[in-house]
Amino acid sequence: MEILRVEGLSKIFGSGRLEVRALEDINLSVSEGDLVALLGPSGSGKTTLLMCISLILDPTEGKIIFDGQTIFQKNGWAGVDIRRIRREKIGFIFQAHNLIPFLTARQNVLFPLSLLSLKREEAESRVMELLKYMEIADRADYLPALLSGGEQQRVAVARALSNNAKLILADEPTASLDTGRGMRVMELLKKIAKENRSAVIAVTHDERMIEGFDHVYHLKDGRIVGERTNSMLN
Amino acid sequence: MDLAVYDLKLHRGRFIATVLGVGLLFTIVLAMNGLYRGNIQEGLALIKATNPDLWVVERYRGGPFNEQSTLPEFYHYSVKAVPGVEKASPFIYYTVERPIGGKSRHFSIVGYDVFGGLGGPQKIYAGRNIEQAHYEMVAHPKLGVRLGDRIPLGLHTYTVVGLTKEAVSSDGEALVYLSLADAQEVLYQRDNEEVRNQRERLLITLYGQSYLSPVQAEKLLPKLQADTHIINAILVRLKPGADCTEVGRRIEKWLYLSAFTTEEELQLMLKGRLASMTKQLLLFRTLLLVISVIIVALVIYTFTMEKIRSIAVMKLIGAPNWEIIRMVMEQSLLLTIGAFLFGLALIHNTYQLFPRTLLLVPGDDLVTFIVAFAGGILASILGLWEALKTEPALALGGGQ
Repeated sequence: MEILRVEGLSKIFGSGRLEVRALEDINLSVSEGDLVALLGPSGSGKTTLLMCISLILDPTEGKIIFDGQTIFQKNGWAGVDIRRIRREKIGFIFQAHNLIPFLTARQNVLFPLSLLSLKREEAESRVMELLKYMEIADRADYLPALLSGGEQQRVAVARALSNNAKLILADEPTASLDTGRGMRVMELLKKIAKENRSAVIAVTHDERMIEGFDHVYHLKDGRIVGERTNSMLN
Repeated sequence: MDLAVYDLKLHRGRFIATVLGVGLLFTIVLAMNGLYRGNIQEGLALIKATNPDLWVVERYRGGPFNEQSTLPEFYHYSVKAVPGVEKASPFIYYTVERPIGGKSRHFSIVGYDVFGGLGGPQKIYAGRNIEQAHYEMVAHPKLGVRLGDRIPLGLHTYTVVGLTKEAVSSDGEALVYLSLADAQEVLYQRDNEEVRNQRERLLITLYGQSYLSPVQAEKLLPKLQADTHIINAILVRLKPGADCTEVGRRIEKWLYLSAFTTEEELQLMLKGRLASMTKQLLLFRTLLLVISVIIVALVIYTFTMEKIRSIAVMKLIGAPNWEIIRMVMEQSLLLTIGAFLFGLALIHNTYQLFPRTLLLVPGDDLVTFIVAFAGGILASILGLWEALKTEPALALGGGQ
């Protein structure tokens, strides 16, 4: 089942002589269980595309269909509460983990759930379930500063999964990890995508991890210049 | 989830230091409230305790407390003769600094007619009132004296026969009640050496006058001695049914004096001597409250800026604005309320140590709390403004 479809998406910053076309005519489709990479050099537009898909940057043109609902078209956001969509249907994983430093691991995972209308006990139980799943339950009451980089990454993944997101967006999820740990994160993302029937879109320029993705979109100067599937990569 | 409290737990050292610092400022504000009330109470205490129907003073003077007023003592007979006056008593009030118990003490002396006149202490809590024409005193315990103590003042020694807490001087210093004659003597009577010197100076001046023989000059000398029968006011009690305004008008018209009711005397003090102090304290309190708000605002701004990336992450995750507003404002209010409570506890446990009377009134505490609370909300605005304009894109490395 298709989770995200992007059609003819463009993003232009500035106007006149200062106009910068950051994205131009982007088309992509992501379905349940897909692990998709947006690959490209710096300035290719991959972070801009991630921001548009994250619903935090208004595209200039194009259409975004999310979970069967058109949420952006020519006239702007189609009367939807984009913050609510992010809260309920999207999970985020960051290169720098971006855990909230004054919350413990357990509270960091609980935070997205506290924004939903869930019972406290239900939310707490889901948090512990996720921390166990991420094999970090024994560090649940530690502040991020007391966790290793790998542990922080696992807490960040648990947080992204806490709201049963349809779409998980990852910004350079393996960039700060060594090859072994990077591979483990890739395996984890793949497992999540399959088991949760969600999709993962990751921005990366980490060529080491390309093999782990089902689809890879190559971006250059704001355009998709190449698309490969897993079978081609292998 | 109480984000504000979790953040403050992580920064508890800075939070506590700020609470103590701002709390000390609130202590000063609350102390000034008490000082203001105390000053008003003390400034008016003697007027209220004396409470005659009319205060008669030198013409065009707002005396005897707000401004100096001097009258010849015998004027009280003229006032007594005004229709409607039942009793007119001479009254003297002045401030001195004299050694008592080996220490230099600043205090005020009230002199009054001890044989049935007005102006004496109404409530004696130990001992008795003055019963002799000379050498007895009633004092406020602030002076550090006890019943039976013998206190030298000027040429003579006075025995403490009674203690009263009824009133203090308008400066908040201790009061001493003496008979009128004793009070005049303490104020005006010089020691013998000084009297001799003055006589000689006067004689030399008189001998220099060609129209006076030496015998005439010596006869004239006693007439030129300084008169010590001076008073500051005449206290009047009216006959039953007499019109206060009418009696006052008669005194002003026929005796060329000024007359004030006790209420007018209170107003003279409030609008005169106490007014500038009131304004001064109000200005200080306002400044301190503004400084407190600025400090809280800067601390909250710093707290907010330190977690601006976390705020961007929260927004990206989908946290509504009210969640972020609540976090910033709650921190500001926790800081303000914590500091206020610290200040309140401190002042209520130390006010007795202040040299001036602090009169702490629950109403003043409440008003200060309301102002501080509003200030706490105001202080969060800078932090809120930064937090709300933070782009969620910052979490992804974009935005500002």
